[in-house]
Amino acid sequence: MAQRAVWLISHEPGTPLGGTVRFSRRYPTVEKRAKVFNGTSYVPIPEDGPFLKSLLFELRLLDEDRDFMESRDSCSRINKTSVYGLKVGGEELWPVVAFLKNGIVYACVPLVEQTLSPRPALISISAISQGFELLFGIQDFLYSSQKIDTELNTKLSQLPDLLLQACPFGTLLDANLQNSLDSISFASVTHPQKQPAWKAGTYKGKPQVSISITEKVKSMQYDKQDIADTWQVVGTVTCKCDLEGIMPNVTISLSLPTNGSPLQDILVHPCVTSLDSAILTSSSIDAMDDSAFSGPYKFPFTPPLESFNLCYYTSQVPVPPILGFYQMKEEEVQLKITVNLKLHESVKNNFEFCEAHIPFYNRGPITHVEYKVSFGQLEVFREKSLLIWIIGQKFPKSMEISLSGTVTFGAKSHEKQPFDHICIGGTAYLKLHFRILDYTLTGCYADQHSVQVFASGKPKINTHRKLISSDYYIWNSKAPAPVTYGSLLL
Amino acid sequence: MGLLSREAWAQRLGAFRASPSAYMAAPEGEDLGRDLLSDLRSEKLSEQTKVSMLALSLEYPAQLWPDAPAAEAAATSLLDTLVLLPPRPSALRRPLLLAATTALVTGGVLGPTSGASLRLLPLLLGLASGGDLGRGFGPSSEQRPLQATACECLRELESCKPGLLGGSLGLLRGLLGQEGPVAPVQPLSLLLALALRNTLVIQARARASLQGLLTVRASPPGGGPWNWTLAQEGEAHLQPQAPSWPAAEEECGLSALEPSPEEARELRAAVAQLLDTSYLLTPVAQAQLLWLLGWALRGLRGQPPVLFKPQLVRLLGTAQLTLLHAVLALKAAFGEALFTAQDEALLLRRLTLAAQHPALPLPAHLFYLHCLLSFPENCPLGPVGEEAAPLLLEPQLCRGLLPNLLHDPMALLARLHLLCLLCAEDEQKEEKGQAQSPCHYLQELLAGLQQRAALTGGPRALATLCFQASYLVAHCLAGHHTVLAPLTHGLAQLYRARPALAPHFVDLLDRVAPELGEPLRVVLRQEVVSRPGGDEALRWHLQMLAKVADRDAQSATLGFLQAAAAHCTDWGLQQALLRVCRALLRAGGGGGLADLLQALARQLEDPDGRDHARLYYVLLSHLSGPKLGVALGPSLAAPALTSSLVAENQGFATALMVQEAPAPIRLSVGPRRAEGPVPVLQLQVEVLEPVYSLELRFRVEGQLYAPLGAVHVPCLCPGRPARPLLLPLQPRRPAPAQLDIRALYTKSTGLTCYTHLPPLPVKFADLFLPFPKAPEGARLGFFEELWDSCLPKGTESRLWCPLGPQGLEALVSRHLEPFVVVARPPTSYHIAIRLPPDSKLLLRLEAAQADGVPVVLRTDDWAVLPLVGDYLRGLSAAV
Repeated sequence: MAQRAVWLISHEPGTPLGGTVRFSRRYPTVEKRAKVFNGTSYVPIPEDGPFLKSLLFELRLLDEDRDFMESRDSCSRINKTSVYGLKVGGEELWPVVAFLKNGIVYACVPLVEQTLSPRPALISISAISQGFELLFGIQDFLYSSQKIDTELNTKLSQLPDLLLQACPFGTLLDANLQNSLDSISFASVTHPQKQPAWKAGTYKGKPQVSISITEKVKSMQYDKQDIADTWQVVGTVTCKCDLEGIMPNVTISLSLPTNGSPLQDILVHPCVTSLDSAILTSSSIDAMDDSAFSGPYKFPFTPPLESFNLCYYTSQVPVPPILGFYQMKEEEVQLKITVNLKLHESVKNNFEFCEAHIPFYNRGPITHVEYKVSFGQLEVFREKSLLIWIIGQKFPKSMEISLSGTVTFGAKSHEKQPFDHICIGGTAYLKLHFRILDYTLTGCYADQHSVQVFASGKPKINTHRKLISSDYYIWNSKAPAPVTYGSLLL
Repeated sequence: MGLLSREAWAQRLGAFRASPSAYMAAPEGEDLGRDLLSDLRSEKLSEQTKVSMLALSLEYPAQLWPDAPAAEAAATSLLDTLVLLPPRPSALRRPLLLAATTALVTGGVLGPTSGASLRLLPLLLGLASGGDLGRGFGPSSEQRPLQATACECLRELESCKPGLLGGSLGLLRGLLGQEGPVAPVQPLSLLLALALRNTLVIQARARASLQGLLTVRASPPGGGPWNWTLAQEGEAHLQPQAPSWPAAEEECGLSALEPSPEEARELRAAVAQLLDTSYLLTPVAQAQLLWLLGWALRGLRGQPPVLFKPQLVRLLGTAQLTLLHAVLALKAAFGEALFTAQDEALLLRRLTLAAQHPALPLPAHLFYLHCLLSFPENCPLGPVGEEAAPLLLEPQLCRGLLPNLLHDPMALLARLHLLCLLCAEDEQKEEKGQAQSPCHYLQELLAGLQQRAALTGGPRALATLCFQASYLVAHCLAGHHTVLAPLTHGLAQLYRARPALAPHFVDLLDRVAPELGEPLRVVLRQEVVSRPGGDEALRWHLQMLAKVADRDAQSATLGFLQAAAAHCTDWGLQQALLRVCRALLRAGGGGGLADLLQALARQLEDPDGRDHARLYYVLLSHLSGPKLGVALGPSLAAPALTSSLVAENQGFATALMVQEAPAPIRLSVGPRRAEGPVPVLQLQVEVLEPVYSLELRFRVEGQLYAPLGAVHVPCLCPGRPARPLLLPLQPRRPAPAQLDIRALYTKSTGLTCYTHLPPLPVKFADLFLPFPKAPEGARLGFFEELWDSCLPKGTESRLWCPLGPQGLEALVSRHLEPFVVVARPPTSYHIAIRLPPDSKLLLRLEAAQADGVPVVLRTDDWAVLPLVGDYLRGLSAAV
């Protein structure tokens, strides 16, 4: 269940090595076990330099992909998980868990408690998921507050001490590194009662509970006879419970209005102590019927100190909030475009912002635009080959707006204009960006009165809701568009 | 080296970390371990510096203290430093404990003879039990974190030396159950679970009982010697094991353990105790606990896994990778005993859901997808160890798991694999022909991938992805014509659009030869040869053609090459062109090729190219087909240089030279013939591989025999009976000899080989020839005449020839029959033997007794006497 070593590598395209090892930690006692367990198939952990080189090559992060290289490009080298075998000094180091996120490669080598030849299935190796969890934990810690680089450096410099707490011998004790950081400062508190390991100390102060529901809606709209449009809502319920006592009990109920869309695919935080079977079984992979469980969704839990995601859900609302079409046609030297967007009447017509981005890929810079909009303004980014239609805070009374125009492009120069491997020829999309506060598309809400707290003092309860667009695409209906399997099932 | 400053240490540690091996190889590396230990006690260095020094020792103990004595000394020194710390809060206690533990383990010194071990273990156990350790252990504020650290250290020691804490199980249970101000739950739980698991495994292997280990609360901290018994049992057992997964069923062997009802009850209580407080553990620690307890209880009699059941619903609801993974481990360990068919279906659904949930990161999706295809089913149908869609995973459930072009490459390939599995099943059912059938969707997806790969100037990764997908489909759906035909067609179109992908095509052809090789080869060849020769992508066309050219449609290929030749202006292109010619030569080129080669030999600008063309022409006109194939085939020797010429010449050399090879036949000496004017050896042949134009050459050491002629055989095939080979011998003296044999032959591949066969003996008796038969009635006279003629030149001797149970008559008929002149069975025989070149041997065997017969012998060649003696004495044994 232990890790033999862990690395953080910043990916630096264009530099001679392609990256720098920002942090590494080895676990010699685990290595000792690896030698025994792996027997003749044992491959030692390399030093940082060779590891960096080999890992970046395997992840295709080195800049040298001009020529075909069998060891990297052969069609039979197929990776279907983020677990790799690295060529190091003529041998293959396996398994190496690694992934790239925000310019940093997170990597570790889990201990396999048996021989490596033949390779055991990943599912049978307990340290694999532990390795993933360690890397996710480090990633959460580094990016828990998205700020500038200097903060990243500060956090990187804290890592050695934190891992000494959270993973002293290579066996992960807590993936929540922030908790380990807190436990250093809370260390002096004495505990009369059994203290959960995931809660470093206790809160002192005014009791309050805040619950925020964020729904993201994504959509793929085609405006085609034979392809179905798709849309999906993904919700996240975030809580911060400032309550006194070691193990205060809280129950939060999420409710839906009568015509609300049932929540599905619910995943809960491990602090949730029990779950109704109806919550566990409501799933989007089954065909929907009217008997679907529609709440209230009760989540009894013992909160950790920090803010946490109580649960995630998805939902299939009956209509997309904004339905539209996009038509783009090549006419001699220019493109003729028509866009139509319609806000559904059930949706709250009060946006924080609403914009449609219309990018033109694999073309030159925009040289000339003629257009007509029924509402809002159009901004033209010539060098980026991008139009942004700023719709603003409200749709007009008719709820329907349109844009039409022609766009002319200059000669293509590869450096400046964006390249895209989907938008070839007529294949093109526009992407909607919008946010509506104090609103959820499913109608889901956490009623203040439905929050039960079993702790001293009556807490203040704050609730927030918002809807955000995410991956909201409307494809050009005059050309082929990438479809999902679901779209084909008419 | 003296005391170093903070900066000096920072620099030193930095230099070490940059490359530990280089640093330790340099002179300054030598003292690092010693300096580190001594400077830890320096009062001038800050705690922060000391912590970073200790951090280094946690990572690189084997470099700092490479052997056991050094590790023991280091651990002792670290413990001394710990004891000497002033009794105020310090950040050093924790890392010092960790460092001492690490040094003992990695130095391999943990054991009853190590002083440091005997100090560390009671100290750790004392700290873990929260006892008062007196001065040196600082303020009470540090007690709790140190307690946790001590548990971690003990857990690590137990991991590396299973059984170490077997004697402390009762104590640990007691600590965990304590009320009031208590020890931290998580470290104790994990320590107890690990110790419990290891104890069960060791006792099961030793076929011992638990001996009350679960209840004995003895071994108080600091009191009494450490109990090493179990650890010494366990030491041999830190060996490869995967005890949780069904494949390793036999290795586990916990069924050998038969706990008494009381022990079983205690064990159940211990496990329940651990599970009941498991919600206090962090999710990753909960997962570890479940794996450990799953290991501990699996296969153990009288321990129903229902104890786990109350935890499952809670765990199934989470999105935590480790927790869901641990549930899968329990599933694999206990199967139906813990998961009913409905539970299994629910787990499968949650897994399917987790593999695509938008709130989870991609690496988690991919891991879940892997788990889905390796799902431990209650009733598995397919072969073990192969990825397959579980039976309960209906296509309907997989809808959201199918790939589309917007996916990341890894996700696309993983999902494509699932799609292929569905297509294979779908085809088995019924050809539906619906637009939304998985196969149809697969085709659309492949077409999309091909379109993207065709994008000029697009990144290579996109092309690679397209070929990986093609490979995956060809492998999973081999024989599914409805999928493979459009795939082949699409790939041909891709080549038309972007010939620069030729290396990918060559690679693909190499990998999918059995499934897709032939049709793909044909369409690609058509694609190339239908082009005008002077294309700007000529170099790719030639590379492609060198792979796909063969005997079929050669005129089109030659036409293309002729047109291309005019455009092959540089050396590289000419070589590429010649490589195609070479491929055609191997495939068996005809007259058209000869014309082309002659033309190239005149026309090419580069002299090297012309030479090559000429050489190929000469080979084509002089060598037979198979030989040509071998001459141009890949060289057996690994080319030392990447030059094509060197590799090529090695190929020729192999083909045109005689190679030494292992023996293709086995020879043995057959029955003696004893007729004719000279002795003839009859050789039996056993054929091991087909051999053509075999020439066997024989030689005899010394000059005992006249030179022997070679034996020729046109063809030998295994399985076909081979006639014996006759080898006439011309001895110069009647003496046995050893035949040295070499074989020269041609293999079925056309290579000429030579082999040194094992030598064969020619025995004395092999040289025996009979005298011409005298007429009946004159035989005795004939014999007496020979008998008399031996003396005085020769010699007479008497021997005792032992007889076996079979008696004289059988002995004579078996060995001497052809040479008998006068016979009076069963007691008397007169025997005359001709020994080439011109000697004789006469024997009188008379008045045989039960156990032997006296032999009077005469010969005109006294030199054969010892041979005759040996021969006669060997006869009875030779029966």
